[in-house]
Amino acid sequence: MSKEQNSIGKSVVDLPANVTRSIFRNPLPSSDRGRAATSFTNFFLHVQPVRVSRQALRPSYTMGLGLISFFLFVILTVTGVLLMFYYVPSTTQAYDRMLDLRSSVVFGVILRNMHRWAAHGMVACVFLHMCRVFFTGSYKPPREFNWVIGVCLFGLTLLSSFTGYLLPWDQLAFWAITVGTSIAGYAPLVGKAIKFILLGDATVGQEALLRFYVLHVVVLPLVLTIFVAVHFWRIRKDGGLAKPETEAAPKRVPVQVEIQEDAVPIAASGSVAVAAPVRKFTIQGLVRGPLIKVGKLEEDTVFSWPNLLIAELVVLLLTIAGVMLVSFFFNAPLEQPVNVMHPPNPAKAPWYFLGLQEQVSYSAFWGGIGVPGIEVLLLLLLPYIDRGKEGVGRWFARQRIFANSIFLFFVLVNIYLIVIGTFFRGANWQFVSPF
Amino acid sequence: MRLALAVASLVVMVGSGAVVYKETQASWQDHQRAYFAQAKAQAKSDAERASLSVKTPKIEQTIVTAFGTSRVERCESCHIASDDPRFASAEEPLKTHPYSAAMGDTYKDGRWERKHKFSEFGCTSCHDGQGRGLTKADAHGEDEYWPTPMLGYVAQADWKKENAAHLHGAEFIQANCAQCHKDRNFAGTAIVARGRELFFKEGCFGCHRIQGISSGTIGPDLTEVGKERKLDYLWGHIVDPRAYTPTSVMPQFKLSDDDKKALVIFLKSRRGSSPSESSVDQYKVEASNTAPVPDSVAEVATAITAAKTPAERGRQLIEGYACLSCHKLDDHDGGISPDLTHEGLMRDRSWLMSHFQNPRSQITDSNMPTFALPEKDFDDMSAYLMTRTTMPQATTPAQTFQTLCARCHGEKGNGQGPNSIYLDPAPRDLTRAEFMSTKPQLRLITSIHDGVAGTSMPPWGKTLTDAQIQGVLDYVWAAYVKEKPHQIKARKLPDANPVAMSADSIHRGESIFLQRCTGCHGRKADGHGPNSIDITPRPRNLTNTAFVQSVSDRRLFESIEYGVDGTAMPSWIDYGLSQNDVGDIVNFIRSLNKPGK
Repeated sequence: MSKEQNSIGKSVVDLPANVTRSIFRNPLPSSDRGRAATSFTNFFLHVQPVRVSRQALRPSYTMGLGLISFFLFVILTVTGVLLMFYYVPSTTQAYDRMLDLRSSVVFGVILRNMHRWAAHGMVACVFLHMCRVFFTGSYKPPREFNWVIGVCLFGLTLLSSFTGYLLPWDQLAFWAITVGTSIAGYAPLVGKAIKFILLGDATVGQEALLRFYVLHVVVLPLVLTIFVAVHFWRIRKDGGLAKPETEAAPKRVPVQVEIQEDAVPIAASGSVAVAAPVRKFTIQGLVRGPLIKVGKLEEDTVFSWPNLLIAELVVLLLTIAGVMLVSFFFNAPLEQPVNVMHPPNPAKAPWYFLGLQEQVSYSAFWGGIGVPGIEVLLLLLLPYIDRGKEGVGRWFARQRIFANSIFLFFVLVNIYLIVIGTFFRGANWQFVSPF
Repeated sequence: MRLALAVASLVVMVGSGAVVYKETQASWQDHQRAYFAQAKAQAKSDAERASLSVKTPKIEQTIVTAFGTSRVERCESCHIASDDPRFASAEEPLKTHPYSAAMGDTYKDGRWERKHKFSEFGCTSCHDGQGRGLTKADAHGEDEYWPTPMLGYVAQADWKKENAAHLHGAEFIQANCAQCHKDRNFAGTAIVARGRELFFKEGCFGCHRIQGISSGTIGPDLTEVGKERKLDYLWGHIVDPRAYTPTSVMPQFKLSDDDKKALVIFLKSRRGSSPSESSVDQYKVEASNTAPVPDSVAEVATAITAAKTPAERGRQLIEGYACLSCHKLDDHDGGISPDLTHEGLMRDRSWLMSHFQNPRSQITDSNMPTFALPEKDFDDMSAYLMTRTTMPQATTPAQTFQTLCARCHGEKGNGQGPNSIYLDPAPRDLTRAEFMSTKPQLRLITSIHDGVAGTSMPPWGKTLTDAQIQGVLDYVWAAYVKEKPHQIKARKLPDANPVAMSADSIHRGESIFLQRCTGCHGRKADGHGPNSIDITPRPRNLTNTAFVQSVSDRRLFESIEYGVDGTAMPSWIDYGLSQNDVGDIVNFIRSLNKPGK
């Protein structure tokens, strides 16, 4: 080491390179080892596998629904934080702030639109993602618990959307929440208590607005983030996305992996591979069991860098583009300021609860609590009830026709109820034609 | 995949560009550029031209702090020439705001000087609208949910077309002038003053409270109605009270369009606290208005004291004040309440006085408010009404029915006369043969001759001769009932309640009542049970003391035991009530209507 190398001049010259190297531990990869290293030396990428199966990358397999849901959540977080700069959770100010957002705040309209439509989109995408997981049988062992987490995430998504619904403090918000919390009140024993805890009062008012605000901007996003983290982590630990079992049953090979450090690119001369110092690592007994298919490197995989990354980027951009286009052309609804004396007729819950409301119109307890309660319980217990091992990783596998039919039936019934509740119900919940 | 990435990136970029363009391109910039160009053409000096050519559009913002909470106003971003006299004949939005000597603007040395300077008053303190808005729709409040659209200028999307046509014009701004110019004689708020006058003349004050002005309690408090309601609602609600509120009990008054407009402008000026006064001022006003009679009523009363006799003064009060908005008197018909033309033949003075003091003391479900007038006014009005003793001209029974009965019972005798919806109990449907033909003639005659206590059916005994009454009844029979009277089988009924009145009996009666009767008659026995809305005639209000006291035990027993034909009241004998049970119920009903109550 000479003194010149430590001179200030050299520090200055090397500064950009030094900074870059300190941030990115790996240069842009050109070799397989580099691609692998990129994945596991980068905080944001290490949640992803080094190699990913081609099946998981096929758009027709996942339709990117889980990822879209996640990106919608990111969009919601960003737009939501920006909206928080303008919003005041007070019954006297909230609606005025909405009007300000609409007419005076630069980008206020687009922000609110994006937040609103992304929220509706997230509810829909999370639900569709759940359907995808079911129809491809992806909740089978070892992924049972991740399915349970997923069901919880669906519930959290609904709650987040529902709590956000009240914040504009217009007629739509007020009466939708009044209806929604009334449904909660039908639960036996705890119903009234839940309703009171949610509202902080006998009716929707300032206390309810404050509670819904805190739930919406702090509690639920935080819990959601933690659940999402666990959800992603479990995907990795459960061996990536579910894929069909190969013909041959996996052999129980001893857990032993060799990683060769290819110090120099090996010349493809076909001659004796001359390696500079070759170091050998042997991992023994660190991981075992069915969790990771160690030692059974499937042929049908590709490196995550760049294949998976590009796919994810495309989904991200398409999601943003979609939300932005919808927000450009359609304004988020804003109705009259709250008027407690004038309920609209009919007062409708948010669309995703209209199926519930439709059921409630037949029977308050069974429609609002009994049937949905059983449905949620079935969803949570599903992977422990359905123990068949066949038909994993394929859409509508023939072996799963029974389970798929039942699930499809439930999905269609719920969609049917939502459509009826949304479009075919008029004053006094009478059946009306929307045409 | 890379192609997809490229396409997605492109879409996002184009989308972002479109959003940014949409958010930053605004028509106010175009208006300002047009203004700069035109001003430059008219500029007199090179210096002015030079200064105009370097100008670029920017948001012109005024913050008005003098009127209540500070208002942010950006109106002049478009209306940039509002104070530039050269643009007097330009098109909006580049038109000069007119100068008006009536508004206090002064013309001196070839220049107008505004009294209400825009920098001080802003625009929205007079015009309403949304000062922050930067597009026409936002700023003018055209959007249906903006609470204060520009007064007399903007009709919002959800306003009814037939209302909106009447809600145009500069005069509506008077509602805002009156926020500061509170003097009732101020020339600039003549229509507000007219509306206030109508508020008393039409009797509005009988039902509605406006802090410091009136103290009615039947209708909603209108102290802040101008803040809460838009012109469309105010107008529409006066034209047809049930248009927006189907359950409203407010009568549909007959008013000219000009009067309606004056009332709307007056109501619009009722904004509770006005921006020109502090909360301490408010409190002082409130504290000084403790007198039971509002100042303006007293003011009117003094104007009428010139009358020579009490009856003459009463006539002036009745004709000039409130009564004829609802009641009929000679040729003037308010179309809502009973005919007072022959009142002196129907009621006595004590009845009138107690009815004035509390209409519900005589007619339990009357919709007439207790007017906050001094006792002397009631005295004089009673005196005048007692002079109304002219009998109607003797005509044919058909004409008698149409002039005297049809107002309530309807031209077709179906109980749906023009003022029937305001009467409770409703006028009898005379075409319901099942009811009419099962009642003894004597009872029908008595109802006409003596009236029906506790209802709006007055005693006609002095107004019509017995022969006329029989004639009218015969006419009703021939024209509406069209059925022979039924011969009712003799019924075994006690003349007086055989069960002695006692606390035990009342208690038993109450428990039977709660089991059997509340579905229609209601838990309060007021006739408003859950089934009552589907039933005509409506179930009887059993707390109508005057009525219940006028009915004999025998009739109560008959109605309960055998039911009332032509109504929903069933025969309770068939449902297992014994004579003693009925006696207990009768005792319970009587106990609800103690004499002297």
